[in-house]
Amino acid sequence: MQSKLSDIELIQQTLGGNQSAYADLIKRHQRFVFTLALRFTKNREDAEEVAQDCFVKAYRSLSSFQQQSKFSTWLYSIVYTTAMTFLRKKRIDTSSIDDEETYLQLENKPGSFDENNVENKSRSYYLNQAIGQLLPDDAAIITMFYKGEQSLEEIAQVMGIEANTVKVKLFRARQRLKEKLERNLRHEVKELI
Amino acid sequence: MNSIEEKLWNYIDGACPPEEQQAIEQLIATDEVYRNKYNELLQLNNEFAVMEIDEPPMAFTYNVMQTIRAEHGLQPSKSRIDGRIIWGIAAFFIITIAALLIYAFSTVNWSNATHVNNTIKIDTNKFTGVFSGVAGKGFLFLDVVLGLFLIDHYLLRRGMTKVQ
Repeated sequence: MQSKLSDIELIQQTLGGNQSAYADLIKRHQRFVFTLALRFTKNREDAEEVAQDCFVKAYRSLSSFQQQSKFSTWLYSIVYTTAMTFLRKKRIDTSSIDDEETYLQLENKPGSFDENNVENKSRSYYLNQAIGQLLPDDAAIITMFYKGEQSLEEIAQVMGIEANTVKVKLFRARQRLKEKLERNLRHEVKELI
Repeated sequence: MNSIEEKLWNYIDGACPPEEQQAIEQLIATDEVYRNKYNELLQLNNEFAVMEIDEPPMAFTYNVMQTIRAEHGLQPSKSRIDGRIIWGIAAFFIITIAALLIYAFSTVNWSNATHVNNTIKIDTNKFTGVFSGVAGKGFLFLDVVLGLFLIDHYLLRRGMTKVQ
């Protein structure tokens, strides 16, 4: 069964000319790659474009994958680079999480949560909404840490920074997410009252 | 306040040294502020851990594979052309040319060389013998196969360029 093969086995089969092995590899990682791309682009169409581009790039350089890290870590570093290039092309400033102006712009971006009834929404809805309001770097770190099964060292490798810096960034990102989550929930309660 | 949160997050992540871990455990057990904060962050951590991830469109894999097929002619670069084949072909031709040159120069009688035209004398009868035998036919067959391989490769690349 193809689906039970490890990433490395699928890569070896792909390099041996078996294209369906690469399709299996895509199916295995597409949800997370798409989600990670979405954290940067903030819309599904662009995220699809970025994610697709990442898998094509990964295919092109599959033979240069040294297996010194997990395939997912290597793949996410491609996602990170591709998404950052995409954002640069779109002239969106993502250079610093301390850029207060950008931060406020995103913070004040109107959400869609006031159009629906709070009763129909789960807590995870608000969480996703709050993540969507974070800066790309913050959202990506949180997503990689909680859903990408990446350690601080692996996230550091993906982002090309020190593990200690990732630790600090993760702490700040969690604080910001917590604040946004609370703010959105408070807003909902006010709407209901 | 931040330092408490930072310590607690490290504790939750399992990223603090054993001594600090013990100290925090002690604080959680004895200090109510710590305990409340810890419970709050732990709940938040559990929520983050079960957050949903998005689903790409249904045709995502198909679209990626289509792009790859169009760009790469069905196979990734490493398996498309094995470098050893190229080096093998190159080595074959280099050795053949070198052997011919060595043989040619070894037959030259340099002491009698009075005119340039007479310096290199190759006994062509020997070569005729070689090329009319099984080895010669094999050599020609190999050339034909290599030629067909190159033509096929050229036509495939041309086809791919047209598709793009």
